[in-house]
Amino acid sequence: MLEVKNLRASYGGSLVLQGVDMAVPKGHIVAIMGRNGMGKTTLMRSMVGLIRSLSGQVLFDGEDIIGLAPHRISNLGISYVPQGKEIFQSFTVLENLRLGVVKFQKKDRALPQEIFHYFPILEERSNQKAGSFSGGEQQMLAIARALVSNPKLLLLDEPSEGIQPSIVKEIGEILIKINREKGVTILLVEQNVDLVLDISNECFFIEKGMIVNRSTTDHLRKDDTLINQYLSL
Amino acid sequence: MDFSSLMIQVLNGFDLILILILVAIGLVIIYGLMEVINIAHGEFFLLGAYTVVIAQQWGLHFWIGMILSLIVVGFIGLAIEFLCIRRLYERPLDTILATWGISIGIKQFIIIVCGPAGQVVHTPFAASVIFLGIEYPVYRLFTMAASIAVITLTLYIFLRTDFGLQARAVIANRNMSSVLGINTRKMYRTTFIFGSALAGLAGGIMSPLMSVDPQMGLGYLVPAFLAIILGGVGSLYGVLWGGSIIGGADSIFSYLISPVGAQIIVFSIAVVLIRLRPQGILGKKS
Amino acid sequence: MTKGLFASRRNLILSCLLLGSVILPILGGTYLTGQMTQYFIYGIFAISLDVIWGYAGILSFGHAIFFGLGGYMMTLVTKQMIPYMTAFHSTYVGFIFAIGVPALLAVLLGYFLFYSRIAGPYFAIVMLAIAVIFERIAVNWYYVGGFNGIFSIPPLTLSLPGVFSYEIIQPVMLYYVVLGITTGCYLFCHRVVHSPFGSILAAIKENEERVEFFGYNIVRHKIKIYAISAGLAGLAGALFAAVFSFVGPTILGFTMSTEVLIWVILGGRGTLLGALLGAILVRSLEAFLSDIMASYWILFLAFIFIICVMFFPKGVFGYLFSDD
Repeated sequence: MLEVKNLRASYGGSLVLQGVDMAVPKGHIVAIMGRNGMGKTTLMRSMVGLIRSLSGQVLFDGEDIIGLAPHRISNLGISYVPQGKEIFQSFTVLENLRLGVVKFQKKDRALPQEIFHYFPILEERSNQKAGSFSGGEQQMLAIARALVSNPKLLLLDEPSEGIQPSIVKEIGEILIKINREKGVTILLVEQNVDLVLDISNECFFIEKGMIVNRSTTDHLRKDDTLINQYLSL
Repeated sequence: MDFSSLMIQVLNGFDLILILILVAIGLVIIYGLMEVINIAHGEFFLLGAYTVVIAQQWGLHFWIGMILSLIVVGFIGLAIEFLCIRRLYERPLDTILATWGISIGIKQFIIIVCGPAGQVVHTPFAASVIFLGIEYPVYRLFTMAASIAVITLTLYIFLRTDFGLQARAVIANRNMSSVLGINTRKMYRTTFIFGSALAGLAGGIMSPLMSVDPQMGLGYLVPAFLAIILGGVGSLYGVLWGGSIIGGADSIFSYLISPVGAQIIVFSIAVVLIRLRPQGILGKKS
Repeated sequence: MTKGLFASRRNLILSCLLLGSVILPILGGTYLTGQMTQYFIYGIFAISLDVIWGYAGILSFGHAIFFGLGGYMMTLVTKQMIPYMTAFHSTYVGFIFAIGVPALLAVLLGYFLFYSRIAGPYFAIVMLAIAVIFERIAVNWYYVGGFNGIFSIPPLTLSLPGVFSYEIIQPVMLYYVVLGITTGCYLFCHRVVHSPFGSILAAIKENEERVEFFGYNIVRHKIKIYAISAGLAGLAGALFAAVFSFVGPTILGFTMSTEVLIWVILGGRGTLLGALLGAILVRSLEAFLSDIMASYWILFLAFIFIICVMFFPKGVFGYLFSDD
């Protein structure tokens, strides 16, 4: 579904991505792991068009999306939950969710009610301002917002950051459900090993702006050498 | 001072506040959303007034002139956004300069076409009416009603419609909005046209109440900007506060001292207030 | 090596210009000499704006406040209009006030505005409001001439109290004096801009936070350059008053502030010499074309201005004189 070929991009004046190669098969949950500063967020932002890449290709269903504006990429069916969630704090839950569907024509903007099956807490608090939520709840809102448009591909940048482990587990379970029941392909960038081991099929390791290794998660569950190698300080 | 004069002063002051808010709302939408400081906004107000002037010269009815002021200035806003502003989005200081140049150009253009002297627009309601116990011009009441209507409509659009939701989202977080599929460039253009048309309409509404001359743009621009900054940039409700304070203070001091003295004092106070609280009344500390 | 090449090219152009300026009165005739004298005064004003804007990156919207204030100060001193001070009315004292008062105002404004986090665009608007305030005061204050201004201002006078007093009225003499002052201002600014202080300013323009990180007091640097800029503008204003023999609210109002912005943009920001030449260029074009084009001249000027802001940030002369 998603193929990245030799992607090079810079940020803040320095070259961060030095030629990234990876692929995400349809229907899978794939993780990219690496320490801070290795290029994880830059990679995500390049994929959604927030950073202009210098060279390379990002193929979504065979089409190169490099150079497209972020809203065009969103319209192709890619949803993105950035690091820091970027919830609109002063808008209500419903308003935040609605922003997930405004890109459609007026007639197609109904919120799919099943979103509340996955995230029941949002229904209870639908008219509250998002800023009053806890970190974990805001993360759920961010993910829900990304899902209301029925995307084909969901990108998540460190979804577990700053959230207590029990909520992280809950989020993990929801992601698995969505993947299985709705067929959403998921790519996440993470440092939280538990979450990755819980939900993903396969895992890439990124170091100094390049993918340096990959492994199936089954393997990683039994043998954690790669994890120690690329994630320890 | 007797009740009659007091009431007239109060009503006039109210009128001033409303028009100021009308001008400032267009400006805050443009600045809050696009971070574009449009110095020519005062000239849009001017163009709206002159549209009515020219319409009357051509024998058209006043109301047609007013509707035209909305359309014509909206169009001009579109042209300016397309030709100029959109190339300058990442350069806020250059936008100030370019729009400054545009305002000079517009002013001069008006001088060439209509002459430098003040023009008079005839009101459709020449009469006065008994209102709240005093005799007050009908047209002024109309301008108040029209201003309230337009302001309410604008607030409704921005707070209750999907378009408004998208606009507020872009104001709050441009990147996230584009990632959600909102075409921010298109948003910019639409809001710029909207803001410009609003200013033009304000000019059209006000035209019978003043001597329409090429210098009047600046007199509304600076108070409008101060009102926005005072109220908190990016906050629609803030404009209501800022406009009320500036407009109200101006009216009060105009009466107590003189219009010129009022301008000096009000601007000075505004500058001090902004210094003490740069984020404005309702703005957030960034 | 390229640096050396450019440095000497600029110096070459500078020398040519200087030479040309020196022989101008001989070849050009009285009218041209008189005009150029005026243009040099505007040139100093333009340089003062370039110093703060082109180099420090602070857009001073109502810069004519300082120019006008300098002019009025010179007027008030030399016309003995300041109570308790009527004994001191020489040109020298006039200059001291014309430079000092605007500089002081700049320091006050700087302290007031720079310490808050009033960033670029806000600063520009606040300056706009302050400019309106000053213009309003000038128009309405009877003592300083109100709308009509003040006439018959004494010319520049070299004097030693009680010994001699020599008025510089002769056009060619005046020309050389103004040329000398202009050259002096240019060299002074050049020194400032290329000093360590100037490098810090350039860094501040690039990235304020980073410079602050290194421990520099940003605000103090800004205030300093603002004061220098204001003082220079005041100096130009003082010359204006003495040479034109007239001051009025127009010299501290919007039109003037706009004009100086146009000169600097068209001439080239960040190049000092570009600003100076920009002033001369625009003013001479105006003298030449405004007869032909009448009210279309301003329209034309506005158009060129917008084009330059959008597409030619370096202005006409910027490419020639740019340090990079």
